[in-house]
Amino acid sequence: MSPPLLEVRDLRIRFFTEDGEVRAVEGVSFDLQEGEILGIVGESGCGKSMTALSIMGLVPEPGRVTGGEIRFKGRDLLSMAPDEVRDIRGKDIAMIFQDPLSSLNPVLKTGFQVAEPMLAHQRADKRRALARAVDLLRQVRVPAAEQRARDYPFQLSGGMRQRAMIAMGLANAPSMLIADEPTTALDVTVQAQILDLLRTLNRETRTAIVLITHNLAVVAGLCSRVIVMYAGQIVEEGSVFDLFERPQHPYTWLLLRSVPRLDRTRPERLRSIEGLPPDLIAPPPGCRFHPRCPFRIEPCFTEPPPLQEVGPGQRAACWVTMRRAHEEMGAATLLDVRPGAGSGVHGPIREPHRG
Amino acid sequence: MRWRGTLLYIGQRLLLIVFTVLAVSSIVFIGIHRLPGSVFVSERLRASQMQALLHQYGLDRPLWEQYRDFLLGLLHGDLGISYVNQGVRISPLVGREALVSAEVGALALLFTIGLGMLLGVLAAIRQNTWLDYLFTSTAVVGYSMPNFVVATFLLLVFAVFLQRATGGMLYYQIGWTGTFGSLGEISIPAFALGFPYASVVARLTRASMLEVIRQDYIRTARAKGLPEQLVIVRHALRNALIPVITILGPLVIGILTGSVVIENIFGIPGLGKEFVQSILNRDYNIVVGVFTMYAALVGIANLLVDLLYPLVDPRIRY
Amino acid sequence: MGGRPIAITTFIAEPMAQRRAGLWTDAWRRLRRNRLALVAATYLLGLVGVAILAVFWTPYSTTHQGIVLPYQGPTPAHPLGGDSLGRDVLSRLMEGAQISLLVGVGTQVVVLALGVPLGLLAGYFRSWLDAALSLLINIFYGVPDLLVALILIVLLGHSGLGQIIFAIAVTRWMDMARLVRGQAMSLREREFVEAARSCGSGTFKILFRHLLPNALGPIIVQATLGIPQAILFEAFLSFLGLGVQPPTPSWGSMAADGVQAIRISPHIVLAPTIALSVTLMAFNFVGDGLRDALDPRQRR
Ligand SMILES: Nc1ncnc2c1ncn2[C@@H]1O[C@H](COP(=O)(O)OP(=O)(O)O)[C@@H](O)[C@H]1O
Ligand SMILES: [Mg+2]
Repeated sequence: MSPPLLEVRDLRIRFFTEDGEVRAVEGVSFDLQEGEILGIVGESGCGKSMTALSIMGLVPEPGRVTGGEIRFKGRDLLSMAPDEVRDIRGKDIAMIFQDPLSSLNPVLKTGFQVAEPMLAHQRADKRRALARAVDLLRQVRVPAAEQRARDYPFQLSGGMRQRAMIAMGLANAPSMLIADEPTTALDVTVQAQILDLLRTLNRETRTAIVLITHNLAVVAGLCSRVIVMYAGQIVEEGSVFDLFERPQHPYTWLLLRSVPRLDRTRPERLRSIEGLPPDLIAPPPGCRFHPRCPFRIEPCFTEPPPLQEVGPGQRAACWVTMRRAHEEMGAATLLDVRPGAGSGVHGPIREPHRG
Repeated sequence: MRWRGTLLYIGQRLLLIVFTVLAVSSIVFIGIHRLPGSVFVSERLRASQMQALLHQYGLDRPLWEQYRDFLLGLLHGDLGISYVNQGVRISPLVGREALVSAEVGALALLFTIGLGMLLGVLAAIRQNTWLDYLFTSTAVVGYSMPNFVVATFLLLVFAVFLQRATGGMLYYQIGWTGTFGSLGEISIPAFALGFPYASVVARLTRASMLEVIRQDYIRTARAKGLPEQLVIVRHALRNALIPVITILGPLVIGILTGSVVIENIFGIPGLGKEFVQSILNRDYNIVVGVFTMYAALVGIANLLVDLLYPLVDPRIRY
Repeated sequence: MGGRPIAITTFIAEPMAQRRAGLWTDAWRRLRRNRLALVAATYLLGLVGVAILAVFWTPYSTTHQGIVLPYQGPTPAHPLGGDSLGRDVLSRLMEGAQISLLVGVGTQVVVLALGVPLGLLAGYFRSWLDAALSLLINIFYGVPDLLVALILIVLLGHSGLGQIIFAIAVTRWMDMARLVRGQAMSLREREFVEAARSCGSGTFKILFRHLLPNALGPIIVQATLGIPQAILFEAFLSFLGLGVQPPTPSWGSMAADGVQAIRISPHIVLAPTIALSVTLMAFNFVGDGLRDALDPRQRR
């Protein structure tokens, strides 16, 4: 296999607030292969956005990356000079955000904003960049692209705005696109269109995509591999098929139970897991999920579980794992419904090609 | 077609201005003409001469007749004649003075906005550094200093101290040449006039800039790989400008008001000096005229400010 | 009225009262941490002391001419020197403080007396009174405050302290009315007002016992920040010779005298202008401090 496009190793991000140090991300490691679509899921506040922003070098104040490595095409982004990172930003790695309205500048024309990454990296003069922006808008299926390019963001619909954001991301044909909850702010029908667009773009341009979402249905439809995060850490990782069929971390399992049917997808929070995510200033000792875990055992209270192989290409950080939970504790009867039963998430999942 | 709404809006506003000007000047006219005594009382005149003068100016007629004539004149842009400098027509006088005041005021506005925005932006992008603390605390000092105090200090520096330091070679001389003065004569009063408001603009710009910098679209701009200067100038500044424009109206009023004092200190032949002098001289026709002019100026300035909005913020259309 | 609604009011009113008390102690704690505001407040207390002292005693007469040589610079006997007519500048400065404070506080008293009841009524009833108030505010929006005050002084037939205070208050009460109106409008929908209304509290009682105490924070801030405004107006008027009439000293008129003599003896202009600036600044610091303390959300 060729070396990964992106390697994240033991990433740590802290926020230095008046109330104390918020350990927003702690020891996150993963790889992204060329052309791959990787999903990152988890409740809001678990550190997905900060992980993504750290790749862009854009962790906001008072946050700071306090440790780890982020290797892009073999070069560590964290040890680069700010100008070098800026040169990669928007050219080799692009990012689009949750709310396309607030993410677009209200006082600049859409076409110009789409053209701007090309101008920023001296890819074209202004006239050619603007012309190419119209092409890009067409490519992301914006109707009447010339007209829309001359419009301001407030004159576009939500879906059009997100398409414009995607066009902006693609402007310099990056090898990697980070999409942070790209559909959360959109209507259901528009959500499906945008996901469709991302899938098509990935197939046509071979752009690798990191898709961040708290909606498992979105992951199921699009990704090949998934990372599940909880309280700043990866709790489970594997192919989308394995994860949906045989989740091993209780958190993943509970998440799956709370997924609404795909045809009823709403941008709603995953609220069916009892309790709240922990305070990241003083996270619980042992497994960070233990206060909410129905299957916890003694070591969970004291020993943080390592992320270890639980099946081929699947890893989970759990002392119990669902296999044991089912066998020894009768998990399904304990909580009365089997994961996935009646959840309808099986529809879009296809058996991944094992290579 | 795009401009039809705008033209309609301008028309409505102009109508409103005319109405306000009429209302304000009527109140002042009637108020002043009900005052006992007049400019002629102080002059040592015999009763018959006095009567003749009153008659000459039509002051012996019933108030409503005087008011009717005043209104008719006003609608033709005629503000009558001066009592003191007998026979001088007020309209051209006040018009010329309004131009002088506008000249100084415009320069003051330029100082205010330029200096204020520069300091505000610097404080914002260096938030919580010594620079920020320095600017924020000087801003309070700035807007606590009345413009005549600033004027005094400027005079001390440029007129007194500079003269002593250069042995009388180089210094600022209070005075005014020609109708519109020289650049040196304008710039010091304009600075005194604008300085207290510059700190208001700086404070507002800083707050607005800090607000804008936290917005998602700034993150987007950075994610494109834009250099930080472009992020600030192209993406942040224009948005930060929007709230600053809202105080442009009060700012213009403040500068106009301040000019009353500043023109008297620096001997600038503008509306403000005329206003105070005519009050002290009881030349009430001029008082009414200048006040009318002020009301019109404020109305027009506010209209211009409102027309600026859509240029800065495309979401606003009339 | 049965027992139930009363039970509701006691249930709701008590936590409100407690929260209010908590608000004030919180505010006091925040204010105490604000060094600048405390220093400024101390200065202002001192100034009030000086102003009161000046009622009974000043080092020299404030109006007698020829006590010092005209334009005399500072000497041990006359630390701030003499003015163009040979009057003691320090004595005049002291009496000027009295004038400034009288105008500043006096104006705010009138402003509060006019603005608070009118604002409360307009905001609570939203009737013709509200419409009239809005119209008035809109008309006056087009005319500079200071010029209105100037014209008023002319119309009132020149100036005693009372006329000055009245003229300035006329231009300033509307801001207060607008603020109180806004507060009343938002508070009238809140549950504790509903509760008071439902158990039959009279309008007067609702306005002054329920609405007013909850709007007190912003009112205090605005009134505090209004004091330097009024002082500034008085100084402007007196500087132009249209305010306090000679020989009564005002910082504004003293500054005007001083500007005439700026080349010969700068100390005459420096004393009143510095006193004025420092005083205005102190009020602004205290006002800002109060705002931060009473309404932490509004902090910059
Ligand atoms: N400005 C901030 N100050 C303090 N903590 C923050 C800040 N921004 C984010 N965090 C912390 O980082 C954690 C992760 O945030 P984020 O990555 O945005 O979560 P997600 O994208 O998964 O919803 C949050 O739970 C919060 O504790
Ligand atoms: Mg997020």
